[in-house]
Order: sequence, then C-alpha cells, then structure tokens
Amino acid sequence: MLHGASAIYLREILILRRKLVKTLLASAVSPALFLLAFGFGVGRAATVDGQGYLSFLLPGLLTMASMNQSYAIATEINISRFYFKVFEEYLIAPFGRWQIVLGEMAYGITRGLLPVGIIAFYSVLCGVKLHFGGGFALALLLHLAIFSLLGVLAAMIVRSHADQATVNAFLITPMMFLSGTFFPTEQMPWAIKAVASLFPLTYSTRLIRSTLLNSQETALWLYPLLAAMVALLFWLCCWVVARVEA
Amino acid sequence: MNCAEASCYQIQVRKLRRAFGKTEAVRGIDLDICAGEIFAFLGPNGAGKTTSINMLTGLLRPDDGLILYQGQPFLSSNHAVRRRIGVVPQHNNLDRELTAAENLLIHGRLFNMGGPNLQTRITSCLELAGLSDKRNTPVNHLSGGMKRKLVIARALLHEPAILFLDEPTAGLDPHSRRKIWAFLRRINQDQGCTLFLTTHYIEEAEQLAGRVAFIDQGQVIARGTPTELMEKTGHFVLDIYQRDDMINEFFTDRSAALARLKQLDTSVRIREITLEDVFLQLTGKRIDP
Repeated sequence: MLHGASAIYLREILILRRKLVKTLLASAVSPALFLLAFGFGVGRAATVDGQGYLSFLLPGLLTMASMNQSYAIATEINISRFYFKVFEEYLIAPFGRWQIVLGEMAYGITRGLLPVGIIAFYSVLCGVKLHFGGGFALALLLHLAIFSLLGVLAAMIVRSHADQATVNAFLITPMMFLSGTFFPTEQMPWAIKAVASLFPLTYSTRLIRSTLLNSQETALWLYPLLAAMVALLFWLCCWVVARVEA
Repeated sequence: MNCAEASCYQIQVRKLRRAFGKTEAVRGIDLDICAGEIFAFLGPNGAGKTTSINMLTGLLRPDDGLILYQGQPFLSSNHAVRRRIGVVPQHNNLDRELTAAENLLIHGRLFNMGGPNLQTRITSCLELAGLSDKRNTPVNHLSGGMKRKLVIARALLHEPAILFLDEPTAGLDPHSRRKIWAFLRRINQDQGCTLFLTTHYIEEAEQLAGRVAFIDQGQVIARGTPTELMEKTGHFVLDIYQRDDMINEFFTDRSAALARLKQLDTSVRIREITLEDVFLQLTGKRIDP
C-alpha cells in the first residue's frame, strides 16, 4: 500500500548514502561556527533565565541545524524536478500522489536527525548536560516533519532554482535568526516578536529546548500545536502535489 | 489502418486539447492506436508532440478531450491503467549517482514490484539492453547511447503493454541511433509491446513505424502507413535547383518524371519520394529545417 512512499524513501537514502560524509561535515561546520561566534564570543559571560548562555544556545543550534537539513530536501527535489526530471518517474507511477509527500517527508526527517548526534557531541565538549528523552524525541519528530513538509511545499511551488534561493533568503534565514534559536525572543522589539510568532521554528525551538534542559515548565500545549501544523502542511502538500504537472 | 475489433484498440483519443496561456499547443487531436503496432507521431519541434505524449501518460492534464486505454478512461486515480504504460521521456531522467541496477530497482519499487521477481526482471532488462556488464556502474559513467538504452530498459521493467517514447534517438550519433532502432524493433516483435513514438527524424519514422500521423501546430494533418502517405503525393520527386531556392515536383511514375526532367535546363535531381516530401507538400515547410 505504501510502495510509492517506500520507493521514494529508498531512492533518497541510496543517494544520501553516497554523500553521507559530505552531508555530515556540512551539518557539523555551521553549528560549530555559531557556537564559537555566539557561545564563546559574545555570549561567554551571559546568562538566560538564570542558566549559562551555552545551555540556551545548544538546543537552539540543534533546532537550527536539524531544520536546515530537513528543509534542504527542497533543493534536492527542485533539482530532480527541473534539472534531472527524475521527479517525472514519481508522477507517472501507479500510486496516489500523497505517497510522494510521505516519502519525501520521511527522508527529510531522516536527514534532520543527522545533526542531533553532532550537537550532542558539542554539548559534551562544552560541559552542558542535555536530556535526550521521549518528550524530546516526539518534539524533534514534529519539528522535523514540519520543516520537511515546508521543503516539499517550497519545491512544488517555486518554478526554478533561483526562486528557491529567494524563498530561503526571505523565509528560512530570517526564521533561523528570529525564532529564539540564538537569542530569547522576549528581549526583542515587539515588531520582531510579532514576526517570530508566525514562525513554526519559534514554537518547536521552545519545546525542544525545554525538553532538552529538562525544564519543569514545558509547555505541553506546544505538542498539539506542532501536530496541527504537521497535519495542515501535509494536507497542503498533498493538495499542491496533486496539481503538479511535468 | 483500423483494428479488426474495437477491443483491440490500445489507445483511443478524442478531441484532445491543451493550451499554455493563450498558446494552444494541442488543438483537438483524435488518434486510434492498435495493440502491437508501432505508431509514429511526426512533426517539427514545437508542433505539440511532447504535449500530446505528456497528456497520454498523465504528466499533463488535458483542457478537454477523452483518452481511453482499452476502452477505460484514463484518470489519475486509475492505477491499473498506469501500470500498463511505460514512458521514455525526451531527456534521460536517470539518477546519475545511482548504478544502472539501482535505477531499475527504484523504478520497480515505484511500480509495486519486489522480491525475486524484481531481481529477475532487472537482470533480464539489463540483458535485453545489452547492459549486463554495466549493472553496477554509476549512470554518470555510461555513454549517451547506453543511458538511452537504460531509460528504455527501465520503462520496460514493469512489462507495460504500451511504451511511449518521446524523441527516442534525439542527440544520438547515427551508429547509436541504428542500435536503438534495432532494440525497439526487438521489443515490439519479441514482447508484443505497442510502441508510440514521437520524432522529428523522417528516417526514424520510415524505419520503424507501421503507421504515421503528421502533427503541425497542434493538429493532426495527415495519417496512414508511410507507403499510403507517400503514394498519395507521388512516387518520384524532381528537386529543381533555382538561383536561391529549390522547388519540388511530384510524379506517379518514373517516365513522367524523366520526361519533365528533359524539359528543364537548370540543375535537377530525380529521386524517390520520402515522408519529408509529403510533409513539405502538406504544410509548405520542412520537418527538420
């Protein structure tokens, strides 16, 4: 029944396997640079909510790096759709197009898991204790699903590789910096706070950070909120993919 | 040609239309394709060949018209009909980072194949394409002709009843082109697979097709066997070279052509008619200018 989704997932994993070292290194470099610049540069002596800045920063780096990896499937789908035309193989195959969304989402989630081990390693190096429990796993799964689906949606809506770069510049980069990953949103001007409240990363970062730091004040309502975002984006992706033409 | 019985029609197309903005790419074409035949859709670039084939394979939605596969309407939800179709697009849409066998494996899985049957089909399709020794070679390392054969082998993996080929030999050298033609004939004869190909190469249609339809500006302007189409125009052609131009005159028999030739005092060549001449006669332009 899920042969389409599993075939697409297999295809993506076979390709990922061939560039795994490169992808892992790319996942490691960017958080390391942010850690050096923010953690050991401007934020060395800072505290947030009574905790050291590194404890605040590392969960933010995890959400940022995993978001980048999950969302990166947009570029891959874009290339396979407009340049190599491999995507046409999916469009002619005998299964519902929702399976394309499911297969790509599963791949995006897999890619998004790659930086988790790297950030865990950085946290050990920094002497910051993070709690990788069930609450974190569920929050991470929802977070990765959201950004994989956003990747699928972006790849389906844009008409060229250049348009993809525009989406990244106007949506992904601002989201990365304004969603409480590097700085608490509470300290930002109201206009920035309003913009941040529109970004899903704001909510997933908050939830993932509270689970990783084992906070007593985990906002449990964020789980159904993120789940609702996943459901909405999945439906939207299916609607768009059903209308895609070669 | 008409099929002996309505049930042997592999595809029937009625009043198929598709526009892109204000440009009408396909303007109400009708087609009847019989099981087991090789049918060529012949026309210049931009005539509407690819748009037509994309609608017939589900890659584009028609604005209007009807497509029937063995009497069943072709809907995106009709997976049984989709399983009967194999598609060879104009470009080699292979995963370049994967090996030849991996490309076939993914295609098989997309078409719900698995287990030993899939492995057997991969082996036999690679064998059919003469690529058994390239099984584990990344597609990046294959020649243009090999990639083309691999795309055709991939389309055959799930044993389709009809194979659509969009410009199957475009961009290939003459030697590779002839190899592909022989490969396609073998597929049609040995496997009984119906072939629907688009081409702008006259020779390709003449070499392969049992029936041909000319398409120009989104409309089918003539159809029939190559012999029928050529006989309607004549058997012999005089190419009469003028100062800046060349004109053609058509004759049903050689003696009439020779008699005319003797009357002319310019440079003249006598030859047998081709499908290109038929298209030129119908439209006033060449297919491959």
